[in-house]
Amino acid sequence: MTDSEQLHPYVEWIIREARRPVVTDPDARDRVIEAIRVEPLPRRTAVVRRIFAPRVFRLSPVTGALLAAGLVGIGVIAGAVSFNRDGRVAVEQPSVAAKPLPVSDTIVKFVFFAPRAQQVSLVGDFNDWDIAKTPMNRSARGGLWSVTVPLSAGRHVYAFVVDGSSWSADPSAPFAPDDGFGHANSVKLVGRGSSL
Amino acid sequence: MMRFRRTPFGAPGSRRVSVRAVRAAVLVFGASVTLRTLRAQETEPDRLARLDANTRFTIHVLMDSAEMAGLPSSALRSIALQGISLKADSKTIVAAVRQELANLRTARTTLGPVEPEELTAAAALLHAGAKPGQLEKFRVRQRGRSDLQAFTIWADLITRGVPSEDASSAITKLWDDGADDATFLSLWNNVQSDILRGLNPGAALQARVRETPGRPPTAKGQPPEGQQENTRSE
Repeated sequence: MTDSEQLHPYVEWIIREARRPVVTDPDARDRVIEAIRVEPLPRRTAVVRRIFAPRVFRLSPVTGALLAAGLVGIGVIAGAVSFNRDGRVAVEQPSVAAKPLPVSDTIVKFVFFAPRAQQVSLVGDFNDWDIAKTPMNRSARGGLWSVTVPLSAGRHVYAFVVDGSSWSADPSAPFAPDDGFGHANSVKLVGRGSSL
Repeated sequence: MMRFRRTPFGAPGSRRVSVRAVRAAVLVFGASVTLRTLRAQETEPDRLARLDANTRFTIHVLMDSAEMAGLPSSALRSIALQGISLKADSKTIVAAVRQELANLRTARTTLGPVEPEELTAAAALLHAGAKPGQLEKFRVRQRGRSDLQAFTIWADLITRGVPSEDASSAITKLWDDGADDATFLSLWNNVQSDILRGLNPGAALQARVRETPGRPPTAKGQPPEGQQENTRSE
């Protein structure tokens, strides 16, 4: 902008007003504070009064002791659920991560022919000889039962359990001698990445 | 419109509320403890706990003995669990576990310090009927060579009815000839086929061993080149 330029009268008025010194009243602050003090405090509602009103609880000693024991029990459970023994906060993990993963060197498919069986299970040293742990699946047609199991390298002894009671060795694998329980088992040798 | 009657604290009504709260707290506590116990049992089931206290104690003592001797206690545990699944009586289970421990000790003495699975395979072989003296040959072995397959086939042959002496001489001959795992497996396949066809197990083995190609055995008592004896202390 140059001096030669002519300003609009309205703009000139704004500039004048902006440059005019502000005159303040020294008592204004005191008046505002006094006005606030005079303003009445907001009153509590009936619900709030009821909540904060002092009360007296009367409990028998037995009831009191039981209530205290219950509260302590809840605290103990909450602590046990939230913290590990070493004090670290327990974080909920997916079920797969929570279970120790088997150290498997290969995946082995076990197949057994039992056309009249209603159910067949695989038992062995790899599943603690637990009949319920590794049920076998029947093929769509025929009496072929199969299951796939991850196994670590080494020697594994196993057997098939037909209908929950009849133990049978695998006819397609070498036999292991009777361990003293009246029947032979089978042996599976698992190498790194391959199996017998 | 429903109306709720206020009960002043300290009155009989408030006492009922307190008792209900205590009952609820106790119920929650009991349910939580039960759930946690069930979850713990589900994630870490100890199937040995199904045995009676005396049997379980005996099994644990035998397992401790195995570990003290550097033997795989997992083999003993496996035998015990197998017995539990078969609903064998306690006496039978303990006898089977004792026998396994004895076989493992004999195998260790005979073979020296070998891998645990070789030890369990040798124990199974002894249990099948092989004599410790027949296993001594396998104390001397080629570096990196495993006798796991040979022991497995050997035990199978005895279990199928091949006389122990015949099985021993056949497997030892193949071992001396440098047979690999595939050769032992092929022998087993052929012999079991013959047995299933009705041949005498011993004769079937003899015939199949003669067919199996091999290299001339080395001089008696001398380990072949590259072989070593397990001389490490146990």
